[in-house]
Order: sequence, then C-alpha cells, then structure tokens
Amino acid sequence: MAKGLPHTGMVSWLTTVDHKRIGIMYGLSAFIFLLFGGVEALLMRTQLAVPNNTVLEAGTFNSLVTMHGTTMIFLFVMPLSAAFFNFLTPLLIGAPDVAFPRMNALSYWIFLFGGILLNFSFVVRMVPDGGWFNYANLTGKIFSPSHAIDFWVLGVQVLGLASLIAAINFFVTILNMRCKGMTLLKMPIFVWTTLITQILLILSLPVITVALVMMTFDRNFGTGFFDPGSGGQVLMWQHFFWIFGHPEVYILILPAMGIVSEVLPTFSRKPLFGYSVMVYSSCSIGFLGFAVWAHHMFTTGMGPWVNALFSAATMLIAVPTGAKIFNWIATLWGGQLRFTTPMLFCVSFIAMFTFGGLSGVMHSSPPIDSQHQDTYFVVAHFHYVLYGGAVMALFGGVFYWFPKVFGVYMHEGMGKLQFWLYMIGFNCTFFPMHFLGLQGMPRRIYTYSADQGWNLWNLVVTGGSYITALGGIVFVVNLFYSLKWGKKAPADCWDGRTLEWSLASPPPEYNFAVDPEVKQLDAWWHQKYASDGTRLTPVFQPVVDPKTKHLPHPSFWPLILAMGLSVMVVGLFFDNMGHYISVGGIVMALLATYGWVYEEA
Amino acid sequence: MKQAYKIKAQSFWFSLLSGGIPIYAAPFDEKPYALSGSFNTPMDTIAGLTDWGQDINYVYGITTVIVAFVFLAVSIPLIYAIRRFRVKESDLAHMKPPKQVHGNALLEFIWTIVPVILLLFIAIPTWQIIFRQPDANHLPAGTMKIEVVGHQWWWEFRYPELGITTANELHLPENTPVYFALSSADVIHSFWVPQFGGKLDAIPGTHINHLFLTTPPLRHSGKSGGEYYQGQCAELCGLSHALMRFEAVVHGKAEFERWALAYHKPPVVETAQQKRGEQVFMQCMSCHTIYGTQSEELEKQMLAMTPPTHKAGPNLTDFGSRRTLGAGTRSNTAENFHAWVHDPASIKPGSRMVGLGLSPEDIEAVGAYLRQSTAKTY
Repeated sequence: MAKGLPHTGMVSWLTTVDHKRIGIMYGLSAFIFLLFGGVEALLMRTQLAVPNNTVLEAGTFNSLVTMHGTTMIFLFVMPLSAAFFNFLTPLLIGAPDVAFPRMNALSYWIFLFGGILLNFSFVVRMVPDGGWFNYANLTGKIFSPSHAIDFWVLGVQVLGLASLIAAINFFVTILNMRCKGMTLLKMPIFVWTTLITQILLILSLPVITVALVMMTFDRNFGTGFFDPGSGGQVLMWQHFFWIFGHPEVYILILPAMGIVSEVLPTFSRKPLFGYSVMVYSSCSIGFLGFAVWAHHMFTTGMGPWVNALFSAATMLIAVPTGAKIFNWIATLWGGQLRFTTPMLFCVSFIAMFTFGGLSGVMHSSPPIDSQHQDTYFVVAHFHYVLYGGAVMALFGGVFYWFPKVFGVYMHEGMGKLQFWLYMIGFNCTFFPMHFLGLQGMPRRIYTYSADQGWNLWNLVVTGGSYITALGGIVFVVNLFYSLKWGKKAPADCWDGRTLEWSLASPPPEYNFAVDPEVKQLDAWWHQKYASDGTRLTPVFQPVVDPKTKHLPHPSFWPLILAMGLSVMVVGLFFDNMGHYISVGGIVMALLATYGWVYEEA
Repeated sequence: MKQAYKIKAQSFWFSLLSGGIPIYAAPFDEKPYALSGSFNTPMDTIAGLTDWGQDINYVYGITTVIVAFVFLAVSIPLIYAIRRFRVKESDLAHMKPPKQVHGNALLEFIWTIVPVILLLFIAIPTWQIIFRQPDANHLPAGTMKIEVVGHQWWWEFRYPELGITTANELHLPENTPVYFALSSADVIHSFWVPQFGGKLDAIPGTHINHLFLTTPPLRHSGKSGGEYYQGQCAELCGLSHALMRFEAVVHGKAEFERWALAYHKPPVVETAQQKRGEQVFMQCMSCHTIYGTQSEELEKQMLAMTPPTHKAGPNLTDFGSRRTLGAGTRSNTAENFHAWVHDPASIKPGSRMVGLGLSPEDIEAVGAYLRQSTAKTY
C-alpha cells in the first residue's frame, strides 16, 4: 500500500515519513499554538493593566493562566525544538533519515491530536483552571468537579507520549547513524544538546506519566493518592510533578543553547570556544537537573535538611551554566562579527539568559525564596530564561536555517524590526515584574486593588506585551512574504561550519548523495579553509536521481494509530458511552499497528 | 535627627534601586497600613520588620551584590566584544578568517572556580539561617502559639492558650516570639505577611507547618487600636485566590491583653434594631459563631460529634471591631456589609456563603447587630 502513495499534494503530507517534512509540520504547528498562547497572555495583561478591572472574570483568568503556561511549554517551545531536532539531526550527522521514520511521523500526529484535545476544552467551555502545574488537591474531584481538569491531565498525558516516542527515536538515531569518522566528540554541539535533551525526556516523562495516571484514577475511579480525606498526600503530587518539571525546563533550554552554539561560531567565523567543556557542562546540567526539583517546593515545609541540600544542588547547577555563558562570549572574542538577524537573536540570548539565571540564583536560597515564591519575581525569572533565553534562540535558529529548509532567505529588514520590537517589548514586559515581585504582588491573581502600589508597573508591563505582539505580527508577515518573494538561497547560505551547508537549499529528499566522511569537528569549514586561512574549494554534495536512493515509503498507519490512541483517551470524558468509544479507539490502534508491522518499510 | 536622615536616605536609595519611587507610585485610596521605609507599599517584601525578615534581608543583600557583580562581569565583556570585533559584510569578502581559537584551559578553570567561591558567600549564610529556625519542640520561653487554618477564601486564627478563635484579623502583641502552626481545611494556601518575612504553605491533611518569628515593636508607642499589616494567600486556591487577604494587627502588650479579655464578652444588644438583628442571626448560626451566644453552644455540640464537625464560616465574635470584611476585600461599612450579605458571590466569586434571601430590613438589622453589638472596646 505504502509504495503507491503520492509524493506531492495534501495526502503526501499526511503520509510523509520524511524527517524534513515532519520538522516543517512541527514548526508550523508550534507557531499556530504560539498565537493561542500569545492571545491568552494579552488577555491576561489587559485584565491586569489597571486595578479592579472587569475585562475577565476570576474563573476565566484562572483558565487563561493555566492554558498560557501549558500551551507555551508543551505546544510551542517543545514542538519548535522538535522541528529543529527533526530537520537537522540527520543532516548534521550525515544520515539519510532518522532511525525510525514512521515512528517519527507517529510522534508528530500524537502531538497534534494532544494539542487539539487540550484546546478543545475551549470549545466545550470546560477549560482547565488549576495552573499549568495542576496542584493537588485543588485539582481533585471535590474542588474541581467538572471535566476541565481532565482536559489538562489527559492532554498532557498524550503530549508526553508524543515526546517520549520522539525521544527514543532521536536517541537511537544519534548513537547509531552518524556518518563515518564522526565520533561523539566530533559531532556538532547541537547534536549533543539534542542527545542530552532526549535522555532527559526518556528519564523524566515516565514520572509525569505515572503521576497523571494516579490523578486520572483519583478523579475518575475513586482512588485517593492525593486526597488528604482518603489518607493521601497533596505534596506527593508536587514531588512527582517537579521531578519531571525540573528536567523539563532543561529540556526547554538545552536545544536553544545548542542553536546559540551553532549560530555564534558561524557569524564570528571562529569555532565554538571550549567545545569539550560545553559538552561536559551540558551533560552536568542534564545530570544535576534531576537533583534540584524540590527548589520549587521550598515553602511547602519539607524541613531544614531538605531545603539546605536542594539549595546546594541548585547553586551547584549554576556553575556549568555560567561556564557556558563565558564560553559563548569567548567565541565572539577576536572574531569577525556579522550582525545578521539570527546573530542578533543569539547574542541577545546571552544577556537575557544570564539575567534570568541570576534571578534564579537568588531564589536558590530558601530564605530569599520565601519572599519570592509565588510572586511576580519568579514570573520575571522564568520568562527571562524561557522567553529572553529559549524563545529568542529559537527565533535565531528559525532565521538561520530557514534558507536551508525553504531555499529562500527570510527578509532581513523585517527580521531586524521584529528583533527590536521583541527586545523592547520583552524587557518592558518582564523587567518591571521584578519590582512587582519585590512589592509583594502574588502570582495567579485575577485582579488587585488600587492601594497596593502596583498600578504603574502593571500598566508598563501590559504596554510591553502589546509591543511584543507587534513583533509577532511582523514575524507572520515576514513568513508569508519570504515564502512567496524571498531571495533565493545557495547551498552554503552563511559560510557555515557543519555538514548541512554542503547540501542544496532545500536538500533533496534523500539528503546525501554521497555518504560523508569526517575527520574532525566543523568538517565542512575545514573543506573550505586551510589551517592558515587560505580558501580551498569545497566539494558540495551532488544532486542525483532520487530513484537510485532507497527511501522509507510514506505510510498512513502513523496517522491512524495516533487517531486510535486519541479516540481511546477521548472515551474517558464520556460517562456511559465512554467505554465503547475507548474500545473503538483501542481497536483502531491495534489495526493500525497490524498494518504498520506488515507494511514494507 | 541624624538617625532620621540616615533612614530617609536609605529608603531613597532602596526606592530608586527597586523602582518604587514614591513620586511615581499611584496614590492610594486610603493608607490603612503601616508603611515601611523601602517601598511605601502594603505588601513590601524588604521591610524586614521581624527577626525572620531581617535574616532574609541579610542574605538578600549579599546575594544582590554578588549577582550584580556577575552581571557586570558578563555584560561588560559582551558589549565590548560586540563593538570591538564587528565587521561589515562587504569587508568580509577579502578578509581571511580570524585565528581559530579552540579554547583555553586556564580561563575555563577561572570561570568555574570563581563562581563556586561566590556561591559559597550566598550558601553559608543561607544554611545558617535555615538551621537557626527553632523547632516546635524547643521553643523559646514565652512563645505564643497561634494555629492558622486556611479556608477557601478566608483565614481562621486560633489562640489555644487564650481560648480564642477568630478570623481574618490576626491580633498580635509586640516584641513577642510567636509560633504559627499552619494547616488548611480544604486546599493548599500560603500564609504570608510580606513586611514581616517570608511565606509558608498551609497544607490540608495531617502535616502542620511551623513558622516562627518575633513580632515587630510598635512604630508609634502608645498608639491605641493597633498597627495594621497586610497579609495575603500566596498559593492558587481557586476562584477567589486574589481576594484572600488578612490583616496582622500589632498591639502594645497591655492592649493585647485587654483585646483578649474583651473578646470573651458577649455582644451588647440595646436597640430594637440590634435585637431584631440578633434574631436574624439565628439563621446564620449553622456556619458562624459569636462567643457568648447560642451559636457558641451549637458549635460545642457540633465539635462533640463523631467525627467533630467544624462550622463552615468565619468566627464573627469581634466582627464589629474589624476594619474589613470578606477577608480584607472591602472596608467594613454598612453599605459593603449589605452588598455582601445580599449576594456574597458578587464580591467573592465562588463564595461558599449564599445569599439567604433576607429582606433589606433584615439585612440592616443583622448589620446593626454584627457591626455595633459585636464591636469590642479594649
């Protein structure tokens, strides 16, 4: 069946197993969900612009704050990072595709259905409202009786499955499919950060999966894991959540750091300073990331020893992180710096991420944290690292690799305009939040009174959010403009250092006509420049007839299996018919698995 | 007067550094709270009025200096590099690439070791403060115990040594060590008076959290009526999380003793309207208690049941003396009282208290009873 499927048109996208197309789909979906998350933020900021405002009711605000966080993390940053993992990993390691192409498609479709499930809550007006962290026992059946919380629990469960499947795929791909000569310490740094991210996903997702199952049972099948009335412990949810939740934030930042580590060397015309230290720091951060989760719980009363030990571990993790920052600056030092749009985004990452990391060091001390926790000071901190950090780097990556993906450059003028709107808007939005936190404004409050002294900064924050939104509009315009009228891009768009620049823009479906062989790090650069700096003539990858290359066939089964799993989950929302719907979903999933297994790869 | 000048200058720099410049701060509707020198805002987190708050500010100060230093250590080289090494795209064509430096072991060593040393300056005071907190079994002499129970969306305060249960106004004697035993009747809340110090969660279940601090001295000694500080719940607890405030009221020690004695006096019912209100209050007895009335008897009976049944609403014994109603949400005026009793959910979304369908005259009457008869003088 799979052999006869078309390679062009709508059906070809639904059945694709090509990592490059899957990457594009992840990216497009991420940007659509960014619009959702952005609108949610703008609505909240409009409500908080002035005291005693009546734009949003309490319940609506609580729902928006929940959905904004959940959407931005699970439906924007993670899938956008996945877009990069997908498109780039095989190209950076000289492979024809990922290890399991159909599984790759499966993880995309499961992600998409998970995102749709979560947002379907808006359609039925039962939007989750327990916060993105969904603390028990507010989110138990007694205090949240409607299905709203179930949309969160099951939505995140499905999304977690998508990430887990993809993580296994990339883990195997990176370890097994590197081209000849590419030992681990000759891999591009982005591949390293991708690898560590996948390991973090594989180890942390099972914890949240179990916790979500326990919460599903508490809410629907009468158990009492997190219900104090039944002898359960509310704090146990927090431990489970943050054992996942803390590695999760490193999952969010490591790919962005990998992007910065690729972009800065290209636009400085120098290698990454301290490559092996960067590798070891990334590994340490990944490892230590599992030892710090309870710093999210310093005010829950875990006792002095627990607080002291987690505080020490949290401070410790600042050391490899700081080393990376100095290595990036040293990369720029003595280089020949070109400030293209991707470079602007990635250099700003250094400053913004440092700032956010430093406010993080402040919260690492439990006494200080007892004033910061649950105030806008923390909101400022994590937006500096996630937005000023991860998101800026991801946009840098978009501008950097867009010409490789689509064969045309993004418009530089619009790119720079977006960058400045983002920098001004972002800082106007989140810098004053430090003041609001110091002035005692708690988080997750839908309104405040006029006598608190918070009026001025809240207004400034709201203004900043509107400026940022303008930057977002410029990006959307740039996207459409560039796809239609963008300047054509050659294979080596930026005088890059890694293997993807040896391929045409966009690359052929089979990637490499001739399997590359590398002898050192930055292999492509060394084909172009001798050690004394004289130019050499590099050998670009030729373009050959695709029929001479074996490629995995397109397949319907990942889409159908994803649908079957989603239907199975949806059945849990219905009380009587639900069992039949879920069974139907299981049957669909089993049939799809059967078809998959017996299909010719 | 040199002292006064010093404090004023300190507060000026604090304000400037932290953005709370008084001339730019919006004017308040009222200034009911004792304001500290730093921000002049009720929820100021660096007032440090208690020993707990001062401990926090000590390590906060050190940390801020270190963090500022690191930020400069990063931003100055970054800005320098951006300016010094920038080239024009057009010049690049005929430039050889720069020296391809791969790394420097000494630099790596320095920028690993120096942060470790700086972090020790934060870590050591941190650990000292953490372990300095007394534990519940070894309390200093004269420590007063107060049980704090969080409810959706109000605060219950019990003084077991004084036999007092009250709500939403936390009366305290000055300069006294206090041990707060925190718990919750429903979901997780967080007990926080920023001007005093940091917060601690109030958790449902068997686990009790302990917060210790020594209450601040009066700012104006001899002031009668107490000095008010704002507290607020700091953990998302449902629809009216934003409206779950409370007030900590610090009295001179003698005044506090008088408050505690006056608390047990029954309501003074004199006028006809107050008598009518006393009758109307019978309808409120199943959820609310006023000491010295039938509602107290009912509460004792409910607590004697197996399992003990707690009333759902706040204790209203000294309601007439309270400055606010609805857990710090509205001033305690006749108008606000009327609006509250008529339709509580309009003021507090999700409120467990429902409008009882009382006539306006009945609401006026019970208002007179609660706002006048229960006002205590001390």
